[in-house]
Amino acid sequence: MKVEDKNWLNVFKIALPLCISYVPIGLACGILLHSAGFNILFTGLLSIMVFSGGAQFLIASMLAIHAPMLQVLLMLFFLEMRYALLSASLSPFLKKEPLPFLIYFSSSMNDENYAINYLKFATDKKWNGHQAVMVNHFSLLFWTVSNMVGSTIGNLIHFDVNLVNFTLTALFGYMLVMQVKNLLSILVAGLSGVLSVWLIIAMNSTMGLVIATLVASFLGFLVEHGLEGRSDPLLLRSLRLRHRHESFKELPKETTDDHE
Amino acid sequence: MSNLDYLILIVLAALVAFIPRVIPLLYFSKRKIPAWFDEWMKYIPVALFTALIAKDVFVTSQYTYNAKNLSEICSTILVFLVAAKTKSMLVTVIVGLISIMGLALVF
Repeated sequence: MKVEDKNWLNVFKIALPLCISYVPIGLACGILLHSAGFNILFTGLLSIMVFSGGAQFLIASMLAIHAPMLQVLLMLFFLEMRYALLSASLSPFLKKEPLPFLIYFSSSMNDENYAINYLKFATDKKWNGHQAVMVNHFSLLFWTVSNMVGSTIGNLIHFDVNLVNFTLTALFGYMLVMQVKNLLSILVAGLSGVLSVWLIIAMNSTMGLVIATLVASFLGFLVEHGLEGRSDPLLLRSLRLRHRHESFKELPKETTDDHE
Repeated sequence: MSNLDYLILIVLAALVAFIPRVIPLLYFSKRKIPAWFDEWMKYIPVALFTALIAKDVFVTSQYTYNAKNLSEICSTILVFLVAAKTKSMLVTVIVGLISIMGLALVF
């Protein structure tokens, strides 16, 4: 029993920096969800069931511009598609786990706890699925409580929603910069941005977001495919933006190959 | 929206969030990840995040061009620089918020 207690504490120490960084972002998210009409109970439920900062901000901001539910869900689907890549890159480490465990694990996985778990799985041989789930649950707890407190604050104090909404822009800005790896990805981003503004205004609908994302990413995919085989093309040269923690997010492909 | 609408949205959103997380884990814990899937997925995040940022900065809630966006443009550029420099989500978000609030007083 004592060994287990210590394990619990050790895992908590590993998850703590992430848990603390969730507090201000969770508060902002709770405030926005409150202004989008979510009560404290729904905010808590959404935080537990969706558990994704980007997704929850997106729901709040799309409901604020009265987007239809189907479009909210469609954008959400594209936003959450990136989890397919994260989850695929963790799969080699969880090969021995039974099916119910995999379902249980993936329901509480998100960008940040993935980053911690991937690093631990890749560097610490003793790291196991149960410790990984613990990291997920610690971060889930901090995220949900911060959201619910944010919802309460939003109820008591009136905030300029436009300013709080910039939290989302900053969050996406951060995630974008972390994803930029070469010149081509910057071009894809630029094209997507221009297309998105033009299409949303021309179509008078947030459907423009969906089309801009699909067209720009598909062109990026095609261009990269076309450049394959050439020696060191300028467009694909690494920009080395990421060094420390985030750099391993780019590694899954090689590392999973090693595991095969 | 009624309470039932919110509940339906939460359940469907949870489903949409859960499916991309669980399917690859179940599928690829038995097989290798195909290269085309990897290549295709690589460009979705950059395209999506920029589309969303561009919407926030340049489009109003009535789907018209937002001309009064100087403080958003400046703050977004600052966010990119801080993110590239610090690689910290928390620092980026806090600097972004301070910047937008500060500039809201200036412009």
